[in-house]
Amino acid sequence: MAQCVQSVQEFIQDSFVPMVAVLCSEDAEKVTRKNNLNFAELLRPFCRLTSEGHIRDPNNQVQPVKNLRISVNNVCTRPAPATGSLSPAQRRLLGEVVSSIQPPEGVTANIITAGDHDLSFNATTPWFEAYRESFLQSMPASDHEFLNHYLACLLVVSSSEAVPVEQFLKLSQEQHRIQHSGDYTNPRWFIPNTLKYYVLLHDTSQGDEQRADAVYEDMKQRYGSQGCYLLKINSRTSPTGADEQIPDPWSQYLHKNNLLSQVSAAVNHHNGNNQLVLSSAWCVPSDEMPDSMQSHPLQLDCPPSGGLDSLGVLPPGGPTAARAAALAAAGTHGDCLTLNDHDHIRQFLQEFTFRGLLPHIEKNIRQLNDQLVSRKGLSRSLFSATKKWFGGGKAPEKSIAELKSTSGLLYPPEAPELQIRKMADLCFLVQHYELAYSCYHTAKKDFLSDQALLYAAGALEMAAVSAFLQAGAPRPYPAHYMDTAIQTYRDGCKNMVLAERCALLSAEVLKSQGKYSDAATLLIKMTSEDSDLRSALLLEQAAHCFINMRNPMVRKFAFHMILAGHRFSKAGQKRHALRCYCQAMQVYRARGWSLAEDHINFTIGRQSFTLRQPDNAVEAFRHILTNDSQQTATQQGAFLREYLYVYKVLLGHYLPKLPLPCIHAAATRVYFGHERRLAEGEKQAATNVSLDQEYDQEQAVMWCQLEEQAVASAHRGVVPAAFQPSQCCLNSQTDNLRTPLAVVEEPIIVEVTFQNPLKVSLLLSDLSLQWSFTPRDLSSPQQGDLPSDEASGEPITNDKVGSLVQLYITLTAQSSQPLVVRGQQDLEIRGPRLNSTKEDKTSVSHGQDQRLHPLITPPMPLMEVFFLQFPTALLCGEITKAYVEFCNVSGVALRGLRVASTHPHFFTFGGVGGTSSSSSSAASTPLSPTSAEVCSAYHTLATPPGDPHHHLHPGHPPPPVYLVSSPVEGLVRGKAVAVEIPLEGGVLRPGQSAQLPLWLRGPDQEGVHEINFLFYYESAEKGGRISHRVLRHNVFICASRSLSVCATACPSSVPSADHRGRDAEDGDHLNDGMLVFVDVENVNMSEAGVREFHIIQVSSCSRQWRLHKCINPYKDKGTHVGVCTCVYTQKEGRAGGLSHPSSVSVLKHLFAHVQAYVVEDNKQLILEGQLHVTLQTVGKEAFSLPQKEEAQEMVLLKFKPDLPPPVIQPSVEQLSTLIKTNLHYPETYSHPFVHERLCVVPVTLTMSNCALAEVEVLIDLRHKTISPDSTEVHGTFTWLGQTQYRRRLRPQEVAPLPLRACFLHAGVYNLSTPRVFAKFTTPTRKEEEEGGVAVETSQQAASPALIIITSQA
Amino acid sequence: MAVCIAVIAKENYPLYIRSVPTQNELKFHYTVHTSLDVVEEKISAAGKAMADQRELYLGLLYPTEDYKVYGYVTNSKVKFVIVVDSSNTSLRDNEIRSMFRKLHNSFTDVMCNPFYNPGDPVQSKVFEGMVSGMMVQVS
Repeated sequence: MAQCVQSVQEFIQDSFVPMVAVLCSEDAEKVTRKNNLNFAELLRPFCRLTSEGHIRDPNNQVQPVKNLRISVNNVCTRPAPATGSLSPAQRRLLGEVVSSIQPPEGVTANIITAGDHDLSFNATTPWFEAYRESFLQSMPASDHEFLNHYLACLLVVSSSEAVPVEQFLKLSQEQHRIQHSGDYTNPRWFIPNTLKYYVLLHDTSQGDEQRADAVYEDMKQRYGSQGCYLLKINSRTSPTGADEQIPDPWSQYLHKNNLLSQVSAAVNHHNGNNQLVLSSAWCVPSDEMPDSMQSHPLQLDCPPSGGLDSLGVLPPGGPTAARAAALAAAGTHGDCLTLNDHDHIRQFLQEFTFRGLLPHIEKNIRQLNDQLVSRKGLSRSLFSATKKWFGGGKAPEKSIAELKSTSGLLYPPEAPELQIRKMADLCFLVQHYELAYSCYHTAKKDFLSDQALLYAAGALEMAAVSAFLQAGAPRPYPAHYMDTAIQTYRDGCKNMVLAERCALLSAEVLKSQGKYSDAATLLIKMTSEDSDLRSALLLEQAAHCFINMRNPMVRKFAFHMILAGHRFSKAGQKRHALRCYCQAMQVYRARGWSLAEDHINFTIGRQSFTLRQPDNAVEAFRHILTNDSQQTATQQGAFLREYLYVYKVLLGHYLPKLPLPCIHAAATRVYFGHERRLAEGEKQAATNVSLDQEYDQEQAVMWCQLEEQAVASAHRGVVPAAFQPSQCCLNSQTDNLRTPLAVVEEPIIVEVTFQNPLKVSLLLSDLSLQWSFTPRDLSSPQQGDLPSDEASGEPITNDKVGSLVQLYITLTAQSSQPLVVRGQQDLEIRGPRLNSTKEDKTSVSHGQDQRLHPLITPPMPLMEVFFLQFPTALLCGEITKAYVEFCNVSGVALRGLRVASTHPHFFTFGGVGGTSSSSSSAASTPLSPTSAEVCSAYHTLATPPGDPHHHLHPGHPPPPVYLVSSPVEGLVRGKAVAVEIPLEGGVLRPGQSAQLPLWLRGPDQEGVHEINFLFYYESAEKGGRISHRVLRHNVFICASRSLSVCATACPSSVPSADHRGRDAEDGDHLNDGMLVFVDVENVNMSEAGVREFHIIQVSSCSRQWRLHKCINPYKDKGTHVGVCTCVYTQKEGRAGGLSHPSSVSVLKHLFAHVQAYVVEDNKQLILEGQLHVTLQTVGKEAFSLPQKEEAQEMVLLKFKPDLPPPVIQPSVEQLSTLIKTNLHYPETYSHPFVHERLCVVPVTLTMSNCALAEVEVLIDLRHKTISPDSTEVHGTFTWLGQTQYRRRLRPQEVAPLPLRACFLHAGVYNLSTPRVFAKFTTPTRKEEEEGGVAVETSQQAASPALIIITSQA
Repeated sequence: MAVCIAVIAKENYPLYIRSVPTQNELKFHYTVHTSLDVVEEKISAAGKAMADQRELYLGLLYPTEDYKVYGYVTNSKVKFVIVVDSSNTSLRDNEIRSMFRKLHNSFTDVMCNPFYNPGDPVQSKVFEGMVSGMMVQVS
């Protein structure tokens, strides 16, 4: 429960105050009306007495009465509504009261930290207090209690009346009629002889004062000095005393009263019997201007429109307008009253209370007490027995069945139980709580024994309250009394109003005692379906109870706040509902309870929207949509619709920032330059970079290296320090720290990734990219707008130099229904998170990302490159010609054109002037060397097809084609070099294009090769921000196998004829000549198209060797395979330092010029090619193809690194060559067989272990099982001695084993019969797997070992 | 038997919530969330009494009109909440206890999964299946 302004005691005291009725004559009414007030209102601000009164209790003890308040009201004769519930009008009134009070804005809210929640909320709930006050005031008077029955009646007559005394008499009779005639059930009167207090109202400004005094004297005579009063007011003559500041104590009271009176008026309309002239004032809103009265539907003169409809007629602005009028008129209350008059009124009330009211009460208490005491003589049991027996008189009147059902019993007004209650109420009103408690207690017992539920509940309630209010607290607060009372009211009597009052009191008391939990339970119990407003307020108070507990229950607070918000919204209290939801939101926000959060946000959004706070609504809706929503699709659809609807309403003023669709800012790609043209006719454009390509780190590095090469070659081999690789397409992985440079009048393409996080589809249309731009020379930013229908690429073109500042995207979002909203989204990229320094690691800081802030630079040249007749497949070593065309499409001349490539040996350029692009002209156009150093090494003759030359003769006509490079050169240098492209004059003018022939040679290795070209060029004008530009191109060449050339160089042992003599002199004749064997093999297997290969020519080149003679054993040159050419070469004047050229680097290069006949598409084609072999080492085979062991140069598909190759098990062949055996024996042996029949020859078996492991060897000398076909018995011999040996041989050990062979005849024998088995002493892995037993492997038999045994004579 | 089973992280955000009548999911979210207050109250009350040997099972947290809410807190302050229909009188305390134990075991298995990142929503199928079993079992 929230904190209250009043203390509990004050609150309870003020809830039950003595009621005083007012009957006013018409003249008196006129007097007070001057002040815009009626008499009751006039008195209201002074109703709290400042001085202390006294009262004597029945025991003659003086009791102080402190801080007493009385309630003065006009007599209202309307019948009370049914006591069980509030009338609709009252409900409306309470609603008005609550909605009129809103939490003050800007007041620092209470902040509570509970656990990890920081909550800020209003500690006080003034609307609740106002509600409570109004509620208690509007309590209908009930039969079972007397607290709000009128105790006294003020009869007010003006002094200007002709005969005031007569008027008094009239009023007195009127009062009597009202009370006793039985015509009116309302108002109720406390005691039959109500105190009548006669007030003579004197208007000082006009009336005759002496006459008034005289009348007063007369009155004193008539009514006694204690029963009448002369009240002089209106001393101010000029009502417009604006200069004088007089406090207006009425405003705070009348504000609420105004509403009250309106409602009462409405009720009166409803009832239709408002003929009471005397108290006409009570239903006219006192502060209304006359003209507004004319039109006000509630004014008295208006004929009753009848029924409940009049309530419905209430214009929506009615109460508000009235309130506004009340506020406007607030300053006009009490215009004719001076401060003295205020004092007069105050004195009057004091006089009335102390002289009139309190003695009256005292007297009545005494009387009642006496009655009760006199009755005490009767025993209680007899008393009740009497009641039972004599049903009529004293026994409670069980009149109507339904009455009984609701409230149990109904006592007649004179019933003694009610007298006790009456006395208790009187005591309570004058703050004699002790006596009150005992009386209530007694009454309670009586009522309970009579089963009079309503009465008992009332007594219980008041007993509890008075027990609480007793000073010094002799007994603890009986909370169970209250609980019983509430339960009885609610369940027994179905009287929610009383139950509510009881609950409000009890909750307040419990709160004061810190029993928040009990209070909360109590309040929650009181919520019910019948009144949303009450439920809402009580739930809110319950929520406050939870948060005020010693261990604040934050979540319960939040939950009950939500419930309260829900009820508020049902009750139409939108503002309060919104506030409740917002407070609950603090607990749920960003804690993972997304479903609840969404619900709250949605409600907040709706409420905000209905309250015309579209910004808040948008904010709330945005949350629902942007958070990772777990809602169902239909729910999301609903959210989206609401959201778009809110936007639509909001859209009038500005372009909203839409939260949907989500932009993945980091995935944004920015592309500078024109979109790539794929092909133009036959021409194939350079691939360059395009948005279709995925970013590849390896590729990027490769391109960067190429660019570095090109730049280095342009700067004489040094890469300038300021070198930065140019980036055409920026994405999240590129280096975005630098401000990218874009060229004027070249487009910038921005690719934005949208994501729809919802489960419902989102229709986007009219996307456009907007930008703002700061020109370099102007400071004012410009804005641009480029509509585009494309979803992926948004080109921007700039015609100014400056920098791009900001990008937006405007788009139109649309849900499934025709609800269209146009909005924009900012495009901002946050850089990657920094992670280098310690600070970066500990904090979250992000780097810059300049992707979207390019700098626009002055014009730069722009080149396009086209390729013509560029092949896609080549045979290895095939040479073909293509054309390349360079176009300068910009307005600036370019120069310094270079190309760097990953495969520099793949291509070379022909000369300039290839404008005529026919291939036949190639031979006729002389081409200049492109790179002097490279070119000098190789002169290759491309002979016309069919030229049957085999040799390269010095002095042959100059070759028409220069090939730039060879694999050898590339490998040797180890570093590729950018090649300058020969342009005419070195400059390509704007709009000019140049075509060059491009010679390509198929890679030596089969497979698919990716070949990258990087064209480098710079502006002919110096001093631009961009030093150079590049253009990328990559092609894939599929190379298929053609021929394999294998060459071996052997030192010739036969010196050549003409140099034999000289070489002998030199003494190193071994190196004199060299034999080179060339094997050519057709390795083309799969190509069905390739028919045959012809070796056209074999040539060689070397610095030290020259061709001497060529031997071609196969003269028919058109062979398919296996051309074996022996070339006899000879040294040609050795260089001094090279003593053994056979062992040093390059001996020579061999070239084989090959022609292939290819049938392709039923056409015969002749392809030409060239194969190279480099001989480096004598005796070693050199191949034209790279050896197969080498990894393939190009792997198109990229896989994860392979698993490590499995351990290779030694094959059977390997295992069978572990041991080498050798037999040592005399080649011929003579033996005198005549003398001795047996010839024994010693033989040594030498075993050498070839393995690097210890091997166990088993030698078996027994002959093999004789196969049936070998029947040569005579040729056998026998081993003597042991037939099996086991030996262990250490790694690479050689061990002899002496044996003896025995021969019977002379002859030739093969001794190599011993079988040798070997196994590793440690089992191999495979064997381990197979059972752990090492298997001996039979070793390869040694070559035949023949021994000749001769017979010696 | 259970109409809603929830696993709440130490920091009081939901790791897993499943309820049987799906159209009322929101209500159960609110119920479970509100029950955390009672859980905290009970922990703090028990924490003083016996610091170590705390009974993990907290018993009935609070009854609402239609449901009974039971709570269980592991030593690592992960909370399990089971909401049971009030009309289901056959469920004894012991059964609730064993349900919690089962839930705890299953959750431990989830946590043992090296691919589960503590603090992430539980998405284990095994856990899901176990929970479904506890929810359907009744009828």
